[in-house]
Amino acid sequence: MYSCTKVIQVNLNDSSPQTVIEGNITDSAGPYTVQITRTVNFSDANVFPAVSGALVSITDTTAAIVDTLAETSPGIYTTHIIQGVPGHTYHLYISASGKIYTASSTMPMSVPLDSVTFRHEDNFGKKTIFGVVNFQDPIHVPNQYNFTEYINGKRLNKFVFAFDDQFVDGKYNSQALFTDSAYIKVGDTLAIKMDCIDKPVYNFFKTLQNATNGNNFQSASPANPLTNISNNALGYFSAAATSTKQGVAN
Amino acid sequence: MQRILLAFLLIPALAATAQQKHTISGTVRDKNSGEVLIGATVSIMELSRSGSISNSYGFYSISAPAGNYTLITSFSGYRSDTMIISLNKDLLRPVQLLQTNSELQDIVVSTTKKNANVTNPVAGVQKLSVSEIKSIPVIFGERDVLKTIQLLPGIKSAGEGNSGFYVRGGGADQNLVLLDEATVYNASHLLGFFSAFNSDAIKDLTVYKGAMPAEYGGRLSSVVDIKMNDGNNQSYHVSGGIGLIASRINIEGPIVKNRGSFIISARRTYADVFLKLSPDSSINSNSLYFYDLNAKANYKIDDKNRVYLSGYFGHDNFGLGTTFGIGYGNSTGTARWNHIFNSRLFSNTSLIYSNYNYDIKINSGNNDIIIKSSIKDWALKEDLQYYINNNNKINFGFNTIYHTFAPGILDASDSSSFNSIKVPNKYALENAVYVSHEYTPFDALKLDYGFRFSAFSVVGPGNFYTYDSAGTAIDTATYKSGQFVKTYFNVEPRFSASYQLNKTSSLKASYTRNVQNLHLLSNSASSSPTDIWIPSSLNVKPEIADQVSLGYYRNFKDNQYEFSAETYYKKLQNQIDYKNGAQLNVNENVESELLYGIGRAYGLELYLGKKYGRLTGWLSYTLSRTERKINGINNDNWYAAKQDQTHNIAVVGIYKLNKKWTFSANWVYNTGNAVTFPSGKYEVNGQTTFYYTERNGYRMPAYHRLDIGATMVGKKTAKWESDWTFSIYNVYGRENAYSIRFQNDPNDPSKTQAVQTALFRWVPSVTYDFKF
Repeated sequence: MYSCTKVIQVNLNDSSPQTVIEGNITDSAGPYTVQITRTVNFSDANVFPAVSGALVSITDTTAAIVDTLAETSPGIYTTHIIQGVPGHTYHLYISASGKIYTASSTMPMSVPLDSVTFRHEDNFGKKTIFGVVNFQDPIHVPNQYNFTEYINGKRLNKFVFAFDDQFVDGKYNSQALFTDSAYIKVGDTLAIKMDCIDKPVYNFFKTLQNATNGNNFQSASPANPLTNISNNALGYFSAAATSTKQGVAN
Repeated sequence: MQRILLAFLLIPALAATAQQKHTISGTVRDKNSGEVLIGATVSIMELSRSGSISNSYGFYSISAPAGNYTLITSFSGYRSDTMIISLNKDLLRPVQLLQTNSELQDIVVSTTKKNANVTNPVAGVQKLSVSEIKSIPVIFGERDVLKTIQLLPGIKSAGEGNSGFYVRGGGADQNLVLLDEATVYNASHLLGFFSAFNSDAIKDLTVYKGAMPAEYGGRLSSVVDIKMNDGNNQSYHVSGGIGLIASRINIEGPIVKNRGSFIISARRTYADVFLKLSPDSSINSNSLYFYDLNAKANYKIDDKNRVYLSGYFGHDNFGLGTTFGIGYGNSTGTARWNHIFNSRLFSNTSLIYSNYNYDIKINSGNNDIIIKSSIKDWALKEDLQYYINNNNKINFGFNTIYHTFAPGILDASDSSSFNSIKVPNKYALENAVYVSHEYTPFDALKLDYGFRFSAFSVVGPGNFYTYDSAGTAIDTATYKSGQFVKTYFNVEPRFSASYQLNKTSSLKASYTRNVQNLHLLSNSASSSPTDIWIPSSLNVKPEIADQVSLGYYRNFKDNQYEFSAETYYKKLQNQIDYKNGAQLNVNENVESELLYGIGRAYGLELYLGKKYGRLTGWLSYTLSRTERKINGINNDNWYAAKQDQTHNIAVVGIYKLNKKWTFSANWVYNTGNAVTFPSGKYEVNGQTTFYYTERNGYRMPAYHRLDIGATMVGKKTAKWESDWTFSIYNVYGRENAYSIRFQNDPNDPSKTQAVQTALFRWVPSVTYDFKF
């Protein structure tokens, strides 16, 4: 009588391969990587072809340092000299298969994650444990955050937790990261990485969150996440101030 | 423009030069209850073209030269009344009709105008009168007028779990739903499973699918004008129903016998009881209920004056465990005064208050926040009807509404991580003046044409921002309370005509322009009660729709069968959509997130109905298309609107087996909504992410279901009547897709798959109805 779900066959069109770029600079010690891959058709296996032989360079425009990245494994390009420093602006330049892609990101000032605690909810008839991040949001400064969870060292890939301080400016935050069911068990070690990101990178993760967290009530008409990379690339280029804390679920 | 106004002024002069005529006027009522009857036909047998249709308050007026005549009044579901009159001066003749026994077949009466569907000049209208409302099919355990109109051509359901409906390709916010003249902003309960109206209390429902007369305005696609019962002014009655999903009660009676009456109807559901029975733990800790209350009183001061007071209060509550809850509701209050100046001039004055609000509660640990939003309206409406003679009637009047929008308040408790925020209120004044002429120049041709002049003013206090196309504020202007910031003037011509080819068939044509200044923003693929209404502003222009339609109407077998084929084309301007990732809730700068463009909709609607006999019902088929072209979406190309459903079919049957049993069944089919599905995939942030190319390039699977119902009349005494109604919704249990998601196959992460969620399969229902 109530709702039911089942796997169905849907005839989806094919599309020509698009370039996907994922680049991360943080204020931890380098080196940092930029990964370039391609899209595949829906019916293909989840093997995403690497794009080799591209020319990739990152410029720290604040410190006037230019770094040309080397391809250390297929599709993965690594920096040599560039350092991630809060307040600096980084430009990405890629030339791959005759196309040019550029992006720019400014690393925000660092906001430290104080601790990871836990929240027990009795929703949905069963006890669920959620991780809670605790930190002080700086007042009168626009801040954007992106959180990643690692349970017993393994990254939890299913969710995006992107958050800005529009409603919490200047407050001490204890925010639970809600998932749709229990991933954390008593005794698990939960590490949470908090990235302080700029607005364009936040827009990417926010729109990626809308598209993947699968909340039926507020799902907007699906669209590709807002990228900060030019020329119809998918993906993002982020310069983030990062900190990680962990705790054991009790 | 001036010439047209001059022409209107000349008409009374022309009328006066005609032969000296007298007028018969009065109110048509149900003899047993005193309820006024809307849409009854009163005519003089000896004179052709002497018909008058009783208005929303039961008033009719006919002119004739002095003489002796037979006055005939007829109305579907009632026995016709014949009255001999001797007309040598203006006469007041109230008419009282008796309901027909449900067993009797009305076959007699050759002068009965049962071909009103053929002769009515206004095209694209569907009407449900008192007797028809009693015999609509049962869906989900209820006889619901809003669900029933969605079985008619051109009117589409928004689907399970969605509130609202679509008329001729228009959005869910483009329908003006009026309950006794007050606007109802969200006409549904329980995410669309029930409408906000207790059908026990409803007397008359008329749906205009685009060619609305000039007295209506403010929404582009339709007007659903619902009139409530006034209450039995002869004796007290209680009626109601107890059902598996909802229960209702109705109390009515005289205040002063024959002069005044009251009616109170209430309804509550306990659907949450069923949720608790579900073994699925993600369902059984939720709460889901609604209630509504209609109250009305009226009093006849004297033959020329009557006053009404009515109110409606409805509220829904939906909660997921203790963490999340939504509550929303409408409340309206109306005070009205009918005044009959003389036998030819009828007036109604209404003072209306309307409030729509919702709140979203989120409670997670020390973060209790409530997000609230509301719209409050105060309105004054004056409508006059001038019956010049039997071929000319002028309707004119004005309407003024003062809107207060509270677009978003975030209330956080002190210990919360959240700051309390209040987005400043917005204020607007919506004014309109209209005049229209119902004109029968000769027997075969009936015209209904007019103009509505509307002015929408954005009013202070507040800060008004102007944004460029990138969403950056380029100007801020501050205004004080009551100052006019900007006014949008619009002229809305309305034109409808019917040409009778012969007694049983006609052609109808119409052209109308409608303007809408209240816009619903919905950041989801499904419509929800927490969508936000915003008024036109410095950045948001009024939406405009121009519609033309052409139809052929034909009745068969002495009006037993009605057939119509109607085609329409609608052009829409200043349509709104939103940027990817737009923040719509509690956002003072929500207008910076909007994108604008145009739309078009066209279609063919076919209808075949059987009106009399043991078996009644209809077949309805609509073939249509509705598209949008918004700057910034889909590379500025045309794309199908979400509610584009190529084929839409409804088959409805009601069979009266005998005095005891009546059966009903309905089967519906529609092409799935247009939807955006991926055309590729990639990996980013450690997740398989999907790649989208065009907007709304795919279709959900087709939707179809069969419902059946049976009513068994119980023991009937002079004091007590009762019946049992049994129904099954979705008899063959089809899993109609509510949503389709894409994800990695949990059993094989190297593959991706599509997962469909369906809501309701078989839903049985039992209701016990009583009346004493």
